[in-house]
Amino acid sequence: MQYLSIKKEEWDKAIEQLLLSYTIFAAVDNEFGIDYEIVSPENVSGISYNKAKPATSLKTFFLPVKENVTSGASLKRQRVIIGAPNCDIQGLKLLDEIYLDKDFYDIFYQERRENTIIISIDCFDKQEHCHCSSYGIKPWSDADADLSVIRTGDLIVLRIITPKGEKFINQFSLVQVLTDKNIISEIDKSHSKAESLLIESNKGLPDYKATGVIVKNADDEIWKKYSTNCVSCGACATICPTCSCFLLIDKPGFEKIKQLDACQYPGFERVAGGEDSLGELPRRFRNRYMCKYVWKPQKFSSIACTGCGRCIEACIGKINKNELFMELAPGRS
Amino acid sequence: MTNTKNIYKPIKAKLTEVIDESPLIKTFVVVPEEEFSFGTGQFIELSVDGIGEAPFTPSSSPHVTDKLEVTVMKTGYVTEIMHNLKPGAYMGIRGPFGRGYPVEKFFGKEVIILGGGCGLAPIRSLLFALEHVKDNLEKVILCYGSKTPTDCIYKPLFSRLNSIDKFEAYRTVDRADDEWDGSVGVVTTLLNKIKVDLKNSIAVVCGPPIMMKFGTIRLLEMGYKDDQIYLSMEKNMSCGLGKCGHCMMGEFFVCKDGPVFTYNELRNTPDIWK
Repeated sequence: MQYLSIKKEEWDKAIEQLLLSYTIFAAVDNEFGIDYEIVSPENVSGISYNKAKPATSLKTFFLPVKENVTSGASLKRQRVIIGAPNCDIQGLKLLDEIYLDKDFYDIFYQERRENTIIISIDCFDKQEHCHCSSYGIKPWSDADADLSVIRTGDLIVLRIITPKGEKFINQFSLVQVLTDKNIISEIDKSHSKAESLLIESNKGLPDYKATGVIVKNADDEIWKKYSTNCVSCGACATICPTCSCFLLIDKPGFEKIKQLDACQYPGFERVAGGEDSLGELPRRFRNRYMCKYVWKPQKFSSIACTGCGRCIEACIGKINKNELFMELAPGRS
Repeated sequence: MTNTKNIYKPIKAKLTEVIDESPLIKTFVVVPEEEFSFGTGQFIELSVDGIGEAPFTPSSSPHVTDKLEVTVMKTGYVTEIMHNLKPGAYMGIRGPFGRGYPVEKFFGKEVIILGGGCGLAPIRSLLFALEHVKDNLEKVILCYGSKTPTDCIYKPLFSRLNSIDKFEAYRTVDRADDEWDGSVGVVTTLLNKIKVDLKNSIAVVCGPPIMMKFGTIRLLEMGYKDDQIYLSMEKNMSCGLGKCGHCMMGEFFVCKDGPVFTYNELRNTPDIWK
């Protein structure tokens, strides 16, 4: 894969120039950690590179928490997102399968996808609960994003992934082909280091397929035990890059509001008359695991847990799904 | 590829008639403002403006396309408000959704239909569809059960069915009254009364979960194979598009992969009767 480069200073200037034609979001390192912000001349120099994931998942850009799906406004400008980690990009593939399904296209999702250029970052480090590698996902992207960006010293190094990414980068007149083999070798080393870190810190964690078997065979006691601290707040589903269930709310004029929903909320499956197959907390709790590791893999080709670890970070009950998997991992008793 | 159809937007339909079927059940006759057709067993989302929508399988013939009938039991918030609507009101329709009854697969066969309670609504649509192709069928037998005679909807339907060549219809109730002339007992007891050529028969089951469970068990006992039994499943179908997740049953979206499944497709899915 060909690498391109541009001086960091020139890159920042070019991004500033592009603010005239695009709405640009980027992962920015601020006092609270890394999260997406709208880029402006004031924060362009604070864009985060090479660091593991923003707090918010990429899903948010394509599935807003709430939107009018009968008379919603369309995107006025093209968007650029800088700083999407590969875990989120892999999660987006599942959302594409669901929302760009050939039978029922979601035109709102489709428009956002078509009008967004995704620039991924390479994670050269990991956060505490990152475990993408356990599920076969690399901490950098060489497919599925449009471009990837790495910072090495005062250079920005780019990899073109799609024609859309190439068209975007053609606007940067000062971009050159990177020929310095030392830099490329350093990048390769950083990739290997990040992967080793992930593998080392997640030793013993079952892979995605084995997790499916564990979840399917787990008994009621396990679900009771791990759901004890669950308060059904739905933070795990809200923060998840692949959870995308929603509710349609009617408004006068036959308008529909589509609002993100979660199977962790009581009443998710309740029908008229009161029957609720997920009425009990342990059943709801189990449902999310079954959906992610058993049912979605049966139905779709993309992974429904990308190992981003955000659900563990977001849980106010301090529930760690990986502790459940480790407890039931083969070879343990 | 750019699509422009908005899958979430309902079409308006004028309510032209409201038929009282039982104290809790009404049939709404609606005329859609745009071209609309459905396959028997498919469902629609019917909405009350600004209030909410709920899934129903139309109870009318799929061959009648200028209007459709939807039979609604008063069970919850939306259906209660629906029951107060008067002719002239506008409702919203989205759909049709899902996989209905594969009528052509029934050609040359006996069709045994086991129905319970409000499950007769989709069955009535199926019966109209089967009547339309009766020359291609061996026979059609309806076994229907309700709690009491007043819960038994579409009363004229039974005498009409029994007058159609190749059609037979039987009724039973859990609790009879003095005027009741049908059987008494659960719906599966009606299966003892009919003669079927097992090898050349398919069975359709539609009704409350408990009835579907025991109906399926009885049919299996009779010798029906898993793929000869068609079940019309019901969950909290909301979007109808296989996206919102409310109707997931194992890996299936009932709204898109169903609502009609063969028992063979569902036999390994846990909790299907819940």
